[in-house]
Amino acid sequence: MVIVKRKELSFWERLYLPEVVRGLSVTMRAIFRRKITRQYPEEPLATNEVTRGQPRLAVNEDDTIRCVSCGLCEIACPAYAITIDGQETDRFIEREPERFDIDMLRCILCGFCEEACPKDAIFMSEELELADFSREALVYDIEKLKRPISALQRRSDYVYKLNDRWHSSSSTS
Amino acid sequence: MTITRTFEYAPGAPPDDFEYEDDPVHGEVMQLNMGPQHPATHGVLRLLVELDGEIIRRTEPDVGYLHRGKEKSCESLGWAKFFPHTDRLDYVQPLMNNIGYALALEKLAGIDVPERGQVVRVLLMEISRIAAHLIYLGTTGIDLGAVTMFFNTFKEREKIYSILDAYTGHRMNNTYVRIGGVYADVDEGVEALLREFLVQFPEQIDEFESLLTSNRIWYDRNRDVGVLTADEAMAWSLTGPNLRGSGVDHDLRKAEPYSGYETYDFEVPVGTIGDCYDRYLVRVEEMRQSTRIALQALTRLAETRGGEVLAEDRRYVLPPRDRVQSSMEELIFQFKIVTDLRLPAGRAYHGIESSKGELGFFVASDGSSKPLRCHIRAPGLMNVQAIPLLAEGRLFSDMVAIIGSLDFVMGEVDR
Ligand code: SF4
Ligand code: SF4
Repeated sequence: MVIVKRKELSFWERLYLPEVVRGLSVTMRAIFRRKITRQYPEEPLATNEVTRGQPRLAVNEDDTIRCVSCGLCEIACPAYAITIDGQETDRFIEREPERFDIDMLRCILCGFCEEACPKDAIFMSEELELADFSREALVYDIEKLKRPISALQRRSDYVYKLNDRWHSSSSTS
Repeated sequence: MTITRTFEYAPGAPPDDFEYEDDPVHGEVMQLNMGPQHPATHGVLRLLVELDGEIIRRTEPDVGYLHRGKEKSCESLGWAKFFPHTDRLDYVQPLMNNIGYALALEKLAGIDVPERGQVVRVLLMEISRIAAHLIYLGTTGIDLGAVTMFFNTFKEREKIYSILDAYTGHRMNNTYVRIGGVYADVDEGVEALLREFLVQFPEQIDEFESLLTSNRIWYDRNRDVGVLTADEAMAWSLTGPNLRGSGVDHDLRKAEPYSGYETYDFEVPVGTIGDCYDRYLVRVEEMRQSTRIALQALTRLAETRGGEVLAEDRRYVLPPRDRVQSSMEELIFQFKIVTDLRLPAGRAYHGIESSKGELGFFVASDGSSKPLRCHIRAPGLMNVQAIPLLAEGRLFSDMVAIIGSLDFVMGEVDR
């Protein structure tokens, strides 16, 4: 426990005028300091793989979508932003989404969908800006969400790094 | 409910020989609504103030303008999905709220957080505390006319937010704590940024102090204003810096240590009189102590490098990503935890020392995937309750100093 010291003002501090001069000198010094304000829209923000931007769906090199519409991300989403309808497909993965909507106005960019996805199909991209003229336009459908995996690979590697745990134990299988 | 309180002479209050009868407006009580959009009410607090001239005769805080039903959300969303909601309680210290909630769940489920996870948590809590106290300094400063403070503290806070951005990918609303630890380890890059910040930060506190502590305006507007005695503070269940400002040495980090706080070396600052000035001094000293704790935590991070930050517990923690791809069992665990995370039946309460006071989460479970009850003990609510006690009988301009010094965030009060 420490008792904080209450200071009594000295005569000069009580006078106030010298303090004004001292205060102004602080202001003057600040004028010549390096400016730290960022001019945002002109100077775009730097993003990297850590950035948790809007979620996007990964598309393989051969243009097939990775998602198998298992619905885990839909369940994990705390904002009820994701809506999925699945359908059969002839591809090896057997199922793919027929409809995959993310309501970007609901999405809170928490990253739970990315964490839940067992198929590496959804990742938080580096896309941050979100603006449109209507609410409907901001409910992104599957076409708007698709991104080539090359654009998300950096994030994918990073997520693997983050979720690399329990080294001392072996797999349960 | 009326609280009447007599007070001794305080600067700015009418002198003893002041004749109310001479006052042309004497006796005419004016009702004034302060807020909910008043910038000095720090959010959407509405105060109904009855004024007799400049003197506050009665005041009644009216809360609830930011009510979003957080407790109910927790009960309908389930255990894990509530984490992003805790961010939005006291939104100037999201990680602290995350950790408070996680600790309650861990108590209920009986999970031990690995050592490195605890160190990271302590580090995050202290960084959040600094950020929250910076907001207090800045906003209270600008309310009382010290505009420079606002810019200077926000400059520092910006550094913290950039570091959190580099660590979590978000500046605010981080959601990086999970049941059993934290989502990600603090890597060396972030560690270096943190060290750089913490090493230069005491210097910045000195600068803040040189601008305020002996500034005559700050001094006169805070000193002997809003005096809260220790008995009153305890009777109104105030906690945190508001309680300690009144001279009560109570800090949950010392009284009921959690996350290994007992192994850190730090002091708890307490005040003497309990006025706004004391509360200010306590918070400034707390920032210094937080810097101390955070630096110790950084040293321990270097010692425990390579350790786990998430408990290995397949009932509550998602398995490693690569094994989900290769092992059927791990995939089943992944599905099980995401779709149906269950905590054992029972009830648990855990309180942590947040920047505003004791932030407690009470959770009751019937063994299903949704909480039976989740109650949040928000320190801010108690702080708001103290406004009438401190403000009645004072000049109206003191109201701003009192609100600022009690330091609450409406997101948490209304929740
Ligand atoms: S980031 Fe969070 S809120 Fe957004 S879609 Fe994913 S789970 Fe839902
Ligand atoms: S969790 Fe992954 S695979 Fe499953 S529906 Fe969501 S995006 Fe598709």
